[in-house]
Amino acid sequence: MTLALPLFRISFLIKEPQGHLGWSVCHARMTPADDNEDHEQRARANAELIRRMAGGDRDALAELYDKLARPLYATARHILNDAAEAQDVVHDVFLTLWENAASFDSARGAAFSWAVTLTRNRSIDRLRSRSNRARLLGDSVPSDLGYDAEGGFIGGDDLAQLGDRAAAVRSALAELPPDQQKALELAFFSGLTQKEIAEKLSEPIGTVKARIRRGLLKLRDMLAHRL
Amino acid sequence: MIDERHEELAAQHAFGLLEGAERAEFVAAMEASPELRRLVAELTLAATGLAHAAPEATPPEELKARILASAAGRVPAAAPARPPAEVIAFPAWVPWLAAAALGIAALWYGREYSAAQAENGRLQTDAVGALAALHQAQAQLDQERGAALRSLEETQSELARAKQMVTDTSRRVAELSAQLKDQGELAKLKIATLASMLGNSPAAVAVAVWDPSRAQGVLSVSKLPAAAAEKDYQLWVIDKRYPAPVSAGTFVVDPVTGEAHVVFRADKPVDAIAKFAVSLERKGGAPSPQGPIVLISP
Repeated sequence: MTLALPLFRISFLIKEPQGHLGWSVCHARMTPADDNEDHEQRARANAELIRRMAGGDRDALAELYDKLARPLYATARHILNDAAEAQDVVHDVFLTLWENAASFDSARGAAFSWAVTLTRNRSIDRLRSRSNRARLLGDSVPSDLGYDAEGGFIGGDDLAQLGDRAAAVRSALAELPPDQQKALELAFFSGLTQKEIAEKLSEPIGTVKARIRRGLLKLRDMLAHRL
Repeated sequence: MIDERHEELAAQHAFGLLEGAERAEFVAAMEASPELRRLVAELTLAATGLAHAAPEATPPEELKARILASAAGRVPAAAPARPPAEVIAFPAWVPWLAAAALGIAALWYGREYSAAQAENGRLQTDAVGALAALHQAQAQLDQERGAALRSLEETQSELARAKQMVTDTSRRVAELSAQLKDQGELAKLKIATLASMLGNSPAAVAVAVWDPSRAQGVLSVSKLPAAAAEKDYQLWVIDKRYPAPVSAGTFVVDPVTGEAHVVFRADKPVDAIAKFAVSLERKGGAPSPQGPIVLISP
């Protein structure tokens, strides 16, 4: 019997010579059932690690670090554009998770979302506290996601190392119209307010809000059960 | 069904972009709507998924060791278990001491209760007295207000009467003024009785009234025989300003009654009339008296 399930595209990042968003897609095959199962398993596994951490289990902390450290560090580093500060942020975030593990409620959201939100907020706080904020914002919010920065470019040898989730996110993001991609990138990584984003894009703030809404709704639909 | 505005706010909330009142308003809306909370959770998951879109970066190996070392010195908030409670043996006199303390406390509270009851009674009495005083003051105020209202009504009635009196007096003054004016004008009239100069008609008589303000007069004649066909009676006004009498026109008497009533004017302006006279002149009258005088005033 032939399975007639729809095919989802899994994209992998490659560098495009002409720049802009620097994303292109390669395709792999994964079924929605696989996605859903993986998503639920990951969520349950992370919640279990947090529960063990609440009981003082440092091995659970080590396992959670192995699962989350890379995207958290990449996020902090991309926002701050500084490796040392990114390490400090990730260090603080994991200690916060460790000390407040008992307050985690899986019904309110995924552990991954909690950790990313902590990382992003602390990175942005540091960014805003810098005295040379304007210059650093200019450096840390490039016109694209900055894959020409040190270590940012993922060459062919690294493609295999990319996780399914990262690939799925990048694939989904690459399918959005460029103006929506840009709005989402700035909203997540820049630490700018909506007004500042509008000024940076030279667009009315209403337009920016609409792009963020449309882009994030599409992203949600494309990434359902895949994070 | 979530509208576009709330979708927009949910997307902004997922990125932590809402601030101030807008954020507070949205959080309140979210608390009231499970559907909206679900949307925010989904969008937050999608938004945080963008962490995977950051350029790949591998944390240094020593970071994990550093974190685990730091965690070793810290205890998760809910991790420590409570130590078992220590059992303490009380001496034998403790229950007696507790009982005595309870007895003393009961006595003290009983006395306090009695005092509170008495104070409560006093307060109730004071309250009743205060309420009575309040009612009395209200009654007095009502009485004074009624008196004031009556006084006001009386004053208003007096005022109305005074206004009526002023109106009546004004009308009376107007009437008196009119009367005085009439009397003044009457005083200015020149009234004269003309007696007969005819031997055959001694009863003939006339009265002339001259109004100088109007420069005209009225002549009333009675028992004067009718003039012949070729003759007319002519009235004359004698003013000292003129050397000759001034004609005041001719008139005809009723041949049956011998009466005549005519309104006359002088041919010249007169203001100092001394006498009136009637003569018998040719038909149509004469410029100066030429016929016999038949009537004349004194």
